[in-house]
Amino acid sequence: MASRVTSDSPNSDASGSASQDHEKEDSKNFECNICLDTARDAVVSMCGHLFCWPCLHQWLETRPTRQVCPVCKAGISKDKVIPLYGRGSTDQQDPREKLPPRPPGQRAEPENTGPFPGFGFGDGGFQMSFGIGAFPFTFFASTFNFGNDGRPAPPQAGSPQHADEQFLSQVFLFMAVFFIIWLMLA
Amino acid sequence: MSTQNIDPAASGARNKDMSDKGNKPKDTHSVSKRLQQELMSLMMSGETGVSAFPDGDNLFKWVGTLQGAEGTVYEGLKYKLTLDFPSSYPYTAPVVKFDTPIFHPNVDTNGNICLDILKEEWSALYTVKTILISIRSLLGEPNNNSPLNTHAAELWENQVAYKKLLLEKYKKDVTDKESS
Ligand SMILES: [Zn+2]
Ligand SMILES: [Zn+2]
Repeated sequence: MASRVTSDSPNSDASGSASQDHEKEDSKNFECNICLDTARDAVVSMCGHLFCWPCLHQWLETRPTRQVCPVCKAGISKDKVIPLYGRGSTDQQDPREKLPPRPPGQRAEPENTGPFPGFGFGDGGFQMSFGIGAFPFTFFASTFNFGNDGRPAPPQAGSPQHADEQFLSQVFLFMAVFFIIWLMLA
Repeated sequence: MSTQNIDPAASGARNKDMSDKGNKPKDTHSVSKRLQQELMSLMMSGETGVSAFPDGDNLFKWVGTLQGAEGTVYEGLKYKLTLDFPSSYPYTAPVVKFDTPIFHPNVDTNGNICLDILKEEWSALYTVKTILISIRSLLGEPNNNSPLNTHAAELWENQVAYKKLLLEKYKKDVTDKESS
């Protein structure tokens, strides 16, 4: 509901077209400002204006000395535009393979707000040991997996085979714990 | 490497074809598409005082009409303009000229218009509609600092005398020629 209100308010500001139906107005919001068609390989400038990447690229190529946004005439540059990836674009050809390539998106690392980022036994500590402890955890999974998922049933308690396996699993458990401690101290 | 194997006659013919259009066929297609979009929105909008339509089958040459705005000395006068679209449109501006002779500080005797948005201030965002609206408002608000017609620029201060001369010229250049 809230998003509906915010998307409506710019429409009512649009000059003279308030009587037109909303569906048409909504699709107009995603039209390229250069070819006036629905934006393909869409990019958005830092000033917030939407273009097809080929259209904007051509505009910047046409006047290399005056790199301005066609809409608001703010200064823009090729490496300061943000590509937009919509839901329907996944099965299309990767736009970066086309010429000219669309600049890639930039991923900023999310800020870690925990008290001991990446260490200790809080959330960060758990995440870390899970990530690097892949070897011991896979081992635990196969050792302690006694469910009936198609594996051979565990040997009877007291049999020599059972004693061997118990010994082996203790050795491996010790190695795994040692490995984790060693990684944490290193 | 492969280009060397092309039959020279064939490549010559292709080059000629490209120079005729001024650009690659693909680009010409996207220019026509944009011009069709403009024509659609221009017909739908019903903007007062301005209209434009392609000249015959040629989508790259339009004829525009504008009527002088109310409250200006150009009120009631009607002017025809030509718009020539280059194959690099909308990255470069169309060539816009007055076809009807007009007495105005920023238009010369050949109909050339001195308007910044048609030159250094051009933006790919501008359309036939925005161009015609801009020219229509230029009629009532000339830039007398850089006139193409110095006589008109000097006379502009005296609106009564300006209007008298304007109507005389319009009658001589337009009304009399139409009736004859
Ligand atoms: Zn576009
Ligand atoms: Zn902008």
